[in-house]
This record gives sequence, structure tokens and C-alpha cells, in this order.
Amino acid sequence: MANKNKKQNQTTPKESEISLKGTFISVMLLGVFILALWFGSYALFLSR
Amino acid sequence: MMLKNYNFTKKESRLYMSFMYVTFASLLIGGLMGLLQTLARSGEFQLPFGINYYTILTVHGVILGLVLTTFFIVGFQFALMGKTVGISDKQLKWAWIAFWTMLVGTIMAAVTILVGQANVLYTFYAPLRAHPAFYFGLALVIVGSWIAVFTNFRQLYVWKKANPGQKSPLLAFMVTINMAMWFIASLGVATSVLVQFIPWSLGYAATINVLLSRTLFWYFGHPLVYFWLLPAYMAWYAIIPKIIGGKLFSDSLARLAFILLLLFSIPVGFHHQLTEPGIDPTWKFIQVVLTFMVIIPSLMTAFSIFGTFEVRGRKLGYKGLFGWLRNLPWNDVRFLAPFIGMVAFIPGGAGGIVNASHQMNALIHNTIWVTGHFHLTVATTVILTYFGMAYWLVPHLTGRRLTPKLNKLGIIQTIIWTVGMAIMSTAMHIQGLLGGPRRSAFSNYMGGEQVETWISYQIAQAVGGTILFIGIILMIYIFIQLAFFAPKGVQEFPIAEEEVDAEPTPLILENWYLWIGITIALILFAYTIPVIDIIKHSPPGSIPFDWPIGR
Ligand code: HEM
Ligand SMILES: [Cu+2]
Repeated sequence: MANKNKKQNQTTPKESEISLKGTFISVMLLGVFILALWFGSYALFLSR
Repeated sequence: MMLKNYNFTKKESRLYMSFMYVTFASLLIGGLMGLLQTLARSGEFQLPFGINYYTILTVHGVILGLVLTTFFIVGFQFALMGKTVGISDKQLKWAWIAFWTMLVGTIMAAVTILVGQANVLYTFYAPLRAHPAFYFGLALVIVGSWIAVFTNFRQLYVWKKANPGQKSPLLAFMVTINMAMWFIASLGVATSVLVQFIPWSLGYAATINVLLSRTLFWYFGHPLVYFWLLPAYMAWYAIIPKIIGGKLFSDSLARLAFILLLLFSIPVGFHHQLTEPGIDPTWKFIQVVLTFMVIIPSLMTAFSIFGTFEVRGRKLGYKGLFGWLRNLPWNDVRFLAPFIGMVAFIPGGAGGIVNASHQMNALIHNTIWVTGHFHLTVATTVILTYFGMAYWLVPHLTGRRLTPKLNKLGIIQTIIWTVGMAIMSTAMHIQGLLGGPRRSAFSNYMGGEQVETWISYQIAQAVGGTILFIGIILMIYIFIQLAFFAPKGVQEFPIAEEEVDAEPTPLILENWYLWIGITIALILFAYTIPVIDIIKHSPPGSIPFDWPIGR
């Protein structure tokens, strides 16, 4: 672990080069969750 | 650019700690009331000594929703200001005046409630009437908080003068936004208390304009929830990155998010009044649209947090789409408690979007779903983040350390809270969808099919509430340890720094005239016409009611 950290430090990529794919997908999933809850409640509203 | 942070003097630390004592005393009192509520509503227990359910519910709402939050926020923000821009002796004196004014007001209101003279719940809706001392107490709390507001403004102003041309420290900027929002918003409730409630409760005015009072309350009530939330956001943006060993994700993004929150937190109060007659639906629609604008800074915040985690993980060499999650310091309570708070904000925020949608508001309005919603948002997201801050702030102020043992207790506390709240809040959400009312003592409503579907959820709430109360006891124990008994030492005050190669922050983000100007313009746009309407066309005002609840 410690070794790995050291090696990484020498080649620390600049922020702009770091991939933010995980972040992008996480935020998209968050959006999907919001929409799912909203439409679920809307369906409940329509059915009553 | 490295900014210099200030070390606290003993005198300063004492001030910040005073706010913390009130916070945690409130937690204990309010939490006990919460437990009693859930037990009473389970139908298995009766409140002893003939105590009125609505007395304890008022204590719970006022002490936790208004007192605990305001004291923690003002104290925490003073600490952030003291750390980043410093505090002079004169400012310190004013800060103490703020503290004592707020405390005297709190005690006045609390005693009035406890002797049964203000069973009006924390929203004190007219025409329920409380004893005037309750309203005077609230007014003092607000005035005290205003003293804090202007002391904070002054602190930043003095720093700016001493550091010409420099952008203000991020945390000081955020505190200023929150206090500006609080001041503008609390003008509404202060007007209502001073002009409407006090003369009416004293008997000088025979009647009160109910709709106007509720409108002024919610003009304040929605920004109130953002006043609770923004200190949590301060922690997420500017403190958590340091705790996980990373850097600030983006200074500009953080400032922009706070500005948008300022703009869109106030002209939206009608989303709490969607079922109210007497307000033109067009204006309700406009305010709902403005409400939804808040999704933008919220998702910006989510993006920034995920980004902070991912950048940190990637720099440590973690691979894969979600590999970076593994690097997070799960066994550090300063991280874990706020993290669970962030997770709770996903269903909490999504539920809020449901609440604010006019049609679906009809589905959940005044049901216990709403209570489930704000126990996720304020009583989990916000509170767990506050706890997460207290774990390092309290020992930092008392010259002690968060020991591994206390850290572990904190982790257990976090888990207990999570489990208890998951049970209580989920049960509240479901019972609400089944039509179960909020703000209601136990009743079987003289029978009925629908009513029978509720009771099992009320029992679940009592189970969750009991677990939560155990969590509160544990938290109080940890607080006392950190304040008085933990070993002496130095506990870090974590503040994240910018990346060395960060882009400079655009100056326009600190143009206060511009942003406060737009804020006021939006408020005038959203409220002027409907308020004129309300004043001109209201039905005759209401005389006070002391029954069924009140005095
Ligand atoms: C032991 C933990 C807690 C329990 C068991 C609990 C339980 C409850 C229950 C059952 C109600 C609704 C009762 C009703 O509508 O009749 C309620 C209301 C409320 N709770 Fe909690 N709660 C807890 C913690 C908190 C915390 C930490 C906060 C805020 C920081 C909070 C803020 C509120 C507020 C503002 C209300 C609304 C009061 C009203 O409708 O007038 N609660 N709580
Ligand atoms: Cu709101």
C-alpha cells in the first residue's frame, strides 16, 4: 500500500487528466432515482 | 494560494463551546420528547401526569427544529469565521451579546411551552394563540441571531480591508451567504410576530389575518430549512475533502452553488401553502418553478462530492469505475457520520421534489410522510453532519483529542442513528401514503378500514424512536467526554485547500451588490402581487382560539 502510494505520488496526474467517469455515472444514477420516485408517486396519485 | 488560518484564544473557544452546550442540551431534551411522541402514538403507552401530547410536540419541534439548529449553526459559523478571517475583541463582545440574547429568548419560550401556555407547535399557526411570552421569546432569539449576522458581516469586512484584492476565504464566503439569507428571510417572521401576533395575543388587536401570517411564516420557513442545510454543505464542500486527504474540488463551483441557493431559497414559500385557498394558483405555479431551480445547485453539490472522492481515489491509484469508493476512510467517524448524512439526502431530496409538486402534494399534505421526509433531511442529513463536525470541533475547542475509543463509539452512534431512522422514517413515509395524519396524538378515529392499516407503522415508529433515543444518549456521552474528560492534546481543524493548479475564481462571484440585488428582485417578483392580493381580499380576521390546543 505504502509503496503504491509513493509511486503514484511521483506521477500524480494533473486534475484535468483524471477520469471523472465514476462521478458522471453516479450523478446520472442519482437523477434516475429522483425520476423513479417522482413517477412512482405520480402513478399513485393518478390511481387514487 | 495559501491563506493563513487563525488560532483560537481561550476566550474565543469559550464562546464557541457555549453554543455547543446549548446544542447538546437541546438534543437531550428534544430527543426525550421525540421518544415520548412515538411511544404515545403506538397506542401502547399513555403520557404520564396528564401531560398534553401537543405540549411535548411543541417542545420537540421548537427545541430541535429551532433551538438546537440555530445554536449549532451560529456557534459553528462563528468558529469558521474565527478560523478563517479572525475575530476582534469588540466582535467577540458582540458575539456574546448575541449568545445571551438568544439564550434568554429560548428560555422564555421554553418555559412558556412547558407550563402549557403555548401548545401551538413550532409553526405557531394563527388562530391558535400562545401566551405573549412565547412570541417575545421567539423575537429575542431572532434578534440575537441578527446580532450574530452583523458580527459575521463585520468580521469579513475587516478582513477584506486588511487583505485588499484577495478573494475571501471560501468558508467565510459561505457563512456570509447563509447569514444574508437568514437575515432577509427572518425579516418576514419577525414582522409577523411583532406586527401581528404580539398585539393580538396581548389583546390589543381583536383579530389576525391568518393567511398573511402563514404567508409570512413560510416566506421564512423554507429558507429556514436551507439555513440548517448550508452549514452541512459547508462541511461537505470545504471540510470533508481535507478529512479524506484530498483537495477542494472547485472553489468556483462551490461559490456558485451557494449563490444559487441564496437566490432560490426565499421566493418559494408557497410550496408549503399549495392547499391554501386565497392564493392565486398562478403565483403558486411560479413559486413551484422557482423551487425546482434548487435542484441545480443540489446536483452541482452531488457532482462536486462524487468528484472529490473520485479525484482522491484516482490519485491513490484506485482503478475501475467505482474503485475510488474503497479508499474512503470508512472507519473515521468525522467522515462516516456526514457521509451517511449525504446518502440520506438522496431519498430526502427526492422526496422533497415530490412534496413540492402540486398534484402530489395533495397525496402527502399533512400526512406523516412529511414528518418522515424532514427526519431524513434535517434529523439525519443535517444532524449527522453536525455530529460529524462536533467530533473534531469540540476537542479542538477544549484542547482535547478524539481518541480511537471515542471514534469507535461515534461509529456505533452513527450506525444506531442510521438504523433507528431508517425504521422510523420509512414507516412514516408509508403510513403517510396510506393517509395517516401528522401532528396527531394516538387515536383510532372511531374505527375505520383505512385507520386499521396505520397502527403497525406507528408501532414501527416507536421501535425506531427507541433506537434513536439510545443513539442520543450515546451522543451525549461522547459530547461530555470530548468536552471534559478526553485526554489533552491537539485536534486538527480540517479545512480543505485548493489544488495548486486550480483555476482562479472569477471575481464576479463575490459581487455582493449583484447577488443580493437579484435575490431581492426575485423576492419582490414572487411575493409583491400575491401579498397585496392577500391583504386586500382576505376574509375578516380571526379572533384567538385557545382550544382545542393553544393555551
Ligand atoms: C429520538 C429522535 C427523534 C424521534 C423519536 C422523533 C420523533 C418525532 C415524531 C414522532 C414526530 C411527529 C409527531 C406528530 O406529528 O404527531 C416528530 C416531529 C418533529 N421532529 Fe422529531 N424525532 C426525533 C428527532 C428529531 C430531530 C433530531 C429533529 C431536528 C433536528 C426533529 C425535528 C422534528 C420536527 C421539527 C418535528 C415537527 C413537529 C411538528 O409537526 O410540530 N426530530 N418527531
Ligand atoms: Cu420548503
